Amino acid sequence: MSDALEALLKNPRIWRGQTQAEDLNWQGLASGYPRLDQHLPGGGWPKHALTEILLDHYGTGELQLLMPALASLSQPQEDREAGWIAWIAPPFEPYPPALMQWGVNLSRVLIVRPKKPQESLWAAEQALSSGNCAAVLLWSTRLDDAASRRLQLAAETGQSWAIAFRSLAASSQPSAAALRIRLEAGATGTDIGILKSRGGRPAVVRDYAG
Amino acid sequence: MPIPDKPSARSREVAPTSSLKNPHSRAQPRQAPEQLSLVATDFKNPSPLSAPVGSLRQLWLCVYLPMLPLEAVINSPQAAAVFEEGQGIRRVLLANAEAGAAGISPGLSVNAALALMPTLRLEERRPDREARVLKDLAGWSEKFTAFTSVEKPSLLLLELAGSLRLFGGLKTLRERIVRGFVSQGFHVRVAIAPTPLAATWLARAGQKVCIRDARHLVGKLSPLPITCLGWPEAVCKALQGMGVTVVGEALRLPRQGFAKRFGASRLLEFDRATGAMPDPRASYRAPERFVADYDLYEEQSDSHLLLNVCHELLKKLERFLLSRQMLVQHVEFIFFHLQEPATHLSLGCVQADRAVQHWFDLLEIKFDRLPLPAPVIAIRLSAGQTQGFTAENDVLPFTKKERQGRNTSITHLAERLCARMGKETVHGIETVAEHRPQYTWRRRDVFDGVPHCASASNYRDLTGYPDELALLTDVHRTNSLVLRRPLWMLQAPELLAIKNDMPCYQGVLQILDGPERLETGWWDADGIARDYFVARNPRGIHLWIFKDRARDSSFWYLHGMFG
Repeated sequence: MSDALEALLKNPRIWRGQTQAEDLNWQGLASGYPRLDQHLPGGGWPKHALTEILLDHYGTGELQLLMPALASLSQPQEDREAGWIAWIAPPFEPYPPALMQWGVNLSRVLIVRPKKPQESLWAAEQALSSGNCAAVLLWSTRLDDAASRRLQLAAETGQSWAIAFRSLAASSQPSAAALRIRLEAGATGTDIGILKSRGGRPAVVRDYAG
Repeated sequence: MPIPDKPSARSREVAPTSSLKNPHSRAQPRQAPEQLSLVATDFKNPSPLSAPVGSLRQLWLCVYLPMLPLEAVINSPQAAAVFEEGQGIRRVLLANAEAGAAGISPGLSVNAALALMPTLRLEERRPDREARVLKDLAGWSEKFTAFTSVEKPSLLLLELAGSLRLFGGLKTLRERIVRGFVSQGFHVRVAIAPTPLAATWLARAGQKVCIRDARHLVGKLSPLPITCLGWPEAVCKALQGMGVTVVGEALRLPRQGFAKRFGASRLLEFDRATGAMPDPRASYRAPERFVADYDLYEEQSDSHLLLNVCHELLKKLERFLLSRQMLVQHVEFIFFHLQEPATHLSLGCVQADRAVQHWFDLLEIKFDRLPLPAPVIAIRLSAGQTQGFTAENDVLPFTKKERQGRNTSITHLAERLCARMGKETVHGIETVAEHRPQYTWRRRDVFDGVPHCASASNYRDLTGYPDELALLTDVHRTNSLVLRRPLWMLQAPELLAIKNDMPCYQGVLQILDGPERLETGWWDADGIARDYFVARNPRGIHLWIFKDRARDSSFWYLHGMFG
């Protein structure tokens, strides 16, 4: 590489996507869907960052998408203890028999149902920054740019994986999330569109479970 | 040498225990003053038998709080005084140094004192509060000795003989005690003697002495003025009229005549002070339930200040619990207002704790949203049922596991969430062996007991994980409809619209699998008879729907989504 190019790349104003994932120490958490993992930098979900999942209808496959990763987090591994998974303001009841079928350790599931909608963001931030939860799932209609930044920061400090569910309309809004994906029903199954991934490229995975 | 020692050692051992155990020994002399001279020995030549009673066995430190009436009501460096009402005139009882410098002395009438110093802070004497403060201090001094006696109105007696070795000698121990009192804002005078009464008199007289040998008692007590005995003024006057001004002169009076004139009980006091008679005392035991008050003296609404006061109270609680090796799971703050009924704020935690910081964190969260109807005049902290402290195993900090171990203390997070949003908002889940879909699980209360994870091996036994899991997911992949259960469950089944005999949910549904017949629960009132189907709507959402055979099978209900 020429010296001029080297000098240019050393300029702090130059942002290089590929290296940032390594800098950020994006520890990939295998999603359990190899075709999706290929497109994620680090080969999986960003373990200590915010992931946004945009969808219009609950039930489009958003939970199945997360289940293998959550199951492995909730089980004790050789190098770490079983992690807690907090569900904050879920729209329906997470059904324990199904969770068990997916291998989730039920004794590590914590369900939080705040009475007021504004409390769910607070609860999520607490859960993330406390460092007690391996993953925090949040359903909130009040998520905006500032809130996503807070969640991203809390996820980094608490070293936990934040997952926020938003509507597809939010795809045009800015977000601090490390990873943003959209879920839509395709012809054969659910399609995943990667809108943003730090250090990765946008991509589309058709029928991820198939 | 050891042989001649033995008998005396035995007599020392026997004498105090028998006298302490026998309560009659105390009452006896009062009932029969004539027999007194038979029991007691001559003061001038205490016989070797009587002297050792309680001598080497006991060592009493008397803490005299001369300023207690003032310190119990006012705790400020500004000029302040307490007054007492007697015969219709309010007179200054005690004034602090600042007020004393302005010429305010005990006995001055309140009006005169105010004329001298208009800014003087005056409070009425509160004997009830004095008694409470004294008890608090007795509780505090329990950390130095197992035996503390509260002598109203302003004395504490600490038995130190048993604590000397632990605290590294008498001098260090005394210094620590005095420093402790001073740091809490109390003026003290202390004296140490082998008998409680001797220590009391010496402390009252302001003599900072330490007598360890009972044989020196008479000599040291003799120069004390009669007034330090704490006897009524009339008695002191009578003695002074006889030309008796110091204790030594009183001791030389003939016993029979002294008892007749001043009562056998006063003679008994002399006997007890010199160690000729045993002097049993009642040991103070702080109550096992913690309650502490803090008076603000003025109405306050500044939340920062109130929180600081709460922090102080929590510190007290921690000390209380530490000295007992106890923990609490529940505490309550009560904020008193002048006009309004008191505001209660209770805090609970999943695992009993005593750390100030832990409770304070919880308090801060809740205090934020506490509606205080009026300014606060006093705060009370009362702790719930205490429980014994049990130590837990912990990994050493340098082992690898510790760094990952943060996951275990979910309880603190749950407490924080509960403190702000209410207890019912946070729960765990567990499965129940039941076929009816709505009963196959239940909430688990996080406060019911910490939801500890079954150990890894147990869990594997329970579910067959991970081998079976792999199998299950394989089944899902190949034939996703084998007894699959939906990840999302509706709280109550939802009636679906029907179009062309087919159920609709955001479009006409297409049945993928079914029926799975569930017919059970006939033994209780909530039996079901349903055919469950897996259906797919035009948006690609997989739904779990059923027909209710028990009622009308032409209706369809939505029960869950596969998510």
